[in-house]
Amino acid sequence: MTETLQPHPRRSGRIALFPIPRSRSLIWVNLAASLIIAAIGFGLGFGQGMKAQEVILFTIISVTVLLWVLNYVVVIFETRSSDWAHEVTTSEEPRGVKAVWRANRVLIIAMALLLLVYLIITATVPEFRSVSNIIAFLVLEAILLFAFTVSGYFAHGRSAFIGLIVLVALIVISSFTIDGFLSAPNVRAILLFAAFLGIACIGQTLVALMGGLDLSIPFVIGASNIGLLFLISLGVPPFVAFGFVLIIGGIIGLVNGLLSFKLQGQALIVTLGTGFAVAGLVQILTSIGSQFSGNVFGTVPPWLSNLAAMNGTFLGMGVPPTIIIWIVLAIIVIVALRYSAYGRYIYALGGNRRSAKLIGISELKYWTLAYTLSGIFAALTGSLLLGWSGGGYIGVGDPYLFTTLAAVVIGGTSLLGGYGGYGFTVIGVLVLQILSSFLIGIGLRYEWQQFIFGLLILPMVALYGRSPHIRSQV
Amino acid sequence: MAERSSSTNTYLLVPILLVAVLLSTAVIRGPHLVSMSGFGSAIIVAAPLTLATYSLMALAVAGRATVDLAVGPLLAFINVSVVKLNMLDIVTGPFSVFLVALGIGVLYQLLFALIIIWVRVQPIIVALSGFLALSGINLVILPRPGGVAPEWMGNWGLGTTIFSPVLLIVLIATAGWLLFTLTPFYANLRMIGYDERAAWTSGVRTNIVRIGAHVIAGLFVGLGAICYTALIASGDPTQGTTMTLAAVTALVLGGVSLTGGRGGVTGALLGAINLFLIGYVLSTFNFGAIQAFVTQMSYGIILVLSLLLTLLVPIVGRHISFISPWAAFIVLAIVVSGIMLQVATSATYLPAEGVVGAAQGDLMTRYLLIAPAEGGFGGLSLSPIQKLAFGVVAALVVLTFSAKLIMAEAPAARMGLFLYVFVVAMLILLFAVVADQSGAADFLGVGS
Repeated sequence: MTETLQPHPRRSGRIALFPIPRSRSLIWVNLAASLIIAAIGFGLGFGQGMKAQEVILFTIISVTVLLWVLNYVVVIFETRSSDWAHEVTTSEEPRGVKAVWRANRVLIIAMALLLLVYLIITATVPEFRSVSNIIAFLVLEAILLFAFTVSGYFAHGRSAFIGLIVLVALIVISSFTIDGFLSAPNVRAILLFAAFLGIACIGQTLVALMGGLDLSIPFVIGASNIGLLFLISLGVPPFVAFGFVLIIGGIIGLVNGLLSFKLQGQALIVTLGTGFAVAGLVQILTSIGSQFSGNVFGTVPPWLSNLAAMNGTFLGMGVPPTIIIWIVLAIIVIVALRYSAYGRYIYALGGNRRSAKLIGISELKYWTLAYTLSGIFAALTGSLLLGWSGGGYIGVGDPYLFTTLAAVVIGGTSLLGGYGGYGFTVIGVLVLQILSSFLIGIGLRYEWQQFIFGLLILPMVALYGRSPHIRSQV
Repeated sequence: MAERSSSTNTYLLVPILLVAVLLSTAVIRGPHLVSMSGFGSAIIVAAPLTLATYSLMALAVAGRATVDLAVGPLLAFINVSVVKLNMLDIVTGPFSVFLVALGIGVLYQLLFALIIIWVRVQPIIVALSGFLALSGINLVILPRPGGVAPEWMGNWGLGTTIFSPVLLIVLIATAGWLLFTLTPFYANLRMIGYDERAAWTSGVRTNIVRIGAHVIAGLFVGLGAICYTALIASGDPTQGTTMTLAAVTALVLGGVSLTGGRGGVTGALLGAINLFLIGYVLSTFNFGAIQAFVTQMSYGIILVLSLLLTLLVPIVGRHISFISPWAAFIVLAIVVSGIMLQVATSATYLPAEGVVGAAQGDLMTRYLLIAPAEGGFGGLSLSPIQKLAFGVVAALVVLTFSAKLIMAEAPAARMGLFLYVFVVAMLILLFAVVADQSGAADFLGVGS
């Protein structure tokens, strides 16, 4: 892309693993900012009466992550501004009010719309008139302004930036309007559900990066959920059963990959079909000889419950191990996509399949590998969900049919392939999960949540995922 | 020349073959299908799915990999809206209900088209967005299945006769699309589906054409929702996902290309019929508690297999290019009609059900190798002269048909009106027998 055409030898190509700004003072500013924010978190943690070692651990983690994010943003700004210095602006722009309007019309329209919505709600709903809502509204407007003025600087990762802004806005507004939103149990619950969704999304992201889709994920989740419990209740050692389920998931993914490779462009339908077949087959197998058709009963081994239950512990800390698993997997996937040959080849194939093939990248190998991984991670999600719920139920995967897709899309990974990454998907997952927690918090029912999710996806994608006009494709 | 003209519709070979196999199986397994009420209820059950598939088909032809996953929730949305408005006594009359149903469908699809064209977001994302939003709002409008359909719709869903208004709706929709294919607009539609850039550069106003395709799809969804309301006689907000999956499956079974430019009402209709027949055949086997799972699994396997079969069609078509889908359709229609006539006439002296446990050989002898009933055409009492006349006419028809077939298929040109007349004749004959069989003989003015 344009990165490789940049004239700066020092910053050409992608940003390093540990971005370091050029100006020294900025590093100190960043460090100070992250320390201050972490200190606030430190105080809050003790204020809520959490364990000391947990608070210390979280403080260290938040300092590191914040420092990294701040440096990342600063480095992007430095490269962009030095780019702009080299560009010679020649075009004659009209001046005055017209120019302001032309340059910022989307922003002005968006802010006006937001104001209108706020005024209408305030006028009609008496309970809505409160100080915290005014603050939330102002914060939203400010964030909108900030997002629009700043996002122009981002050539890449613009979607991630917008996603982060939305994430921050959501957290700020939620903590203003909902009591106990930032309490430890609520944060833990949000992270736990985000972990389930996030693990299921790994496969979807990999597949989307190559221009495919995997709709078999929810069916594999449901099937592995009841399949694992069925195997355990048959007397198979739980560890063996767990591994077996993962292998079967991988095989399903492999079949998906082979079939959809043969049937190019129809991955949607193929995976839907295999998903149907798998879910039906597993239900038939598990209900043979049982009068409770479709429901499997049995006891979940304690280690599996501990793995995913809300009160699970990891090395003595009150964090369900599923969250740790997700974080580790996320880091592995992000780093692997960015730095390993496998990851770069996936981007190459997604970006331009023909040229990738010409430089000797095996299309079939990477395509099927992505689908296989997708199957394995779907099976893993199903097994972890068994530990969370304690009972097998085929419908446990149903909410994941479109939320995996929605998380990938909101994060900013292109469904046409070649652009995006798992880091974006993590942001998408968090946005979805926090939004859903917020909506539950203000007392909306599930169906309204779904409605709002649906309406949210379009503007999010419209901000960064627009295809070029046909005029420019000819 | 010969290859080109026969390969345009080669994709129909798979659905036609599947319909033939499934229909004969269905008739043999459940002879009840071949009766006035059997066909009647089949049409009413299959109608919403058929129209939903038409809607998907219209969009699929327009290209850009448009699979409107929201078709099921949209159908459910119109259903619950109509039912809700009816319960509130706002919209009750037939005209207004049709207006509301078609209006909602068209408006939604118009919005869809405008977003695709001017916001330029991928269709799958718009569809996903619509799916979530609509399935949410459906539950808000009607939290659980219930309500009552408009009164005048009461006897539509009974399924006691073939000639119900639902059949009329399906026929009008089908005929409407077939008429539409004669217009230049359809040629433009296929062109933008096949290669949008080429269409744009050659001066087709792609935006207008795309909007047109979406409006047509919206009309189909509206009609489908009316049929669905008639079928269940109430509102059901929860069936959206199932309907979407079934319609997409039917679309693929019908051989419509999801990449655009290829597809038609014939394929979509065949696909929907196939899907209905799969369900029907499976329901004749008594699986007990796992019935639903078996149905689910079979949908999936058949979906994948039919996709793989469409992959084989070009290879097979290269070797047997002399078989056109029309010829296959005619030959298989004759065979299947024969089986149906046999079952319809022989079922009078056979046990109607209870063949589940029977061995395969026994079943075959009982259903296929039995001598036809005396008098062939059921209760039609024929004098020897009439029989002779019928025989001569039948022989002439067969002779003419064969000659025509050979003549026409040699250069693989169109066979024209003749085939339509022939198929209609076969169907009328079938209807006559069915009417006679189910005691509704006076309906068609034939019989004892």
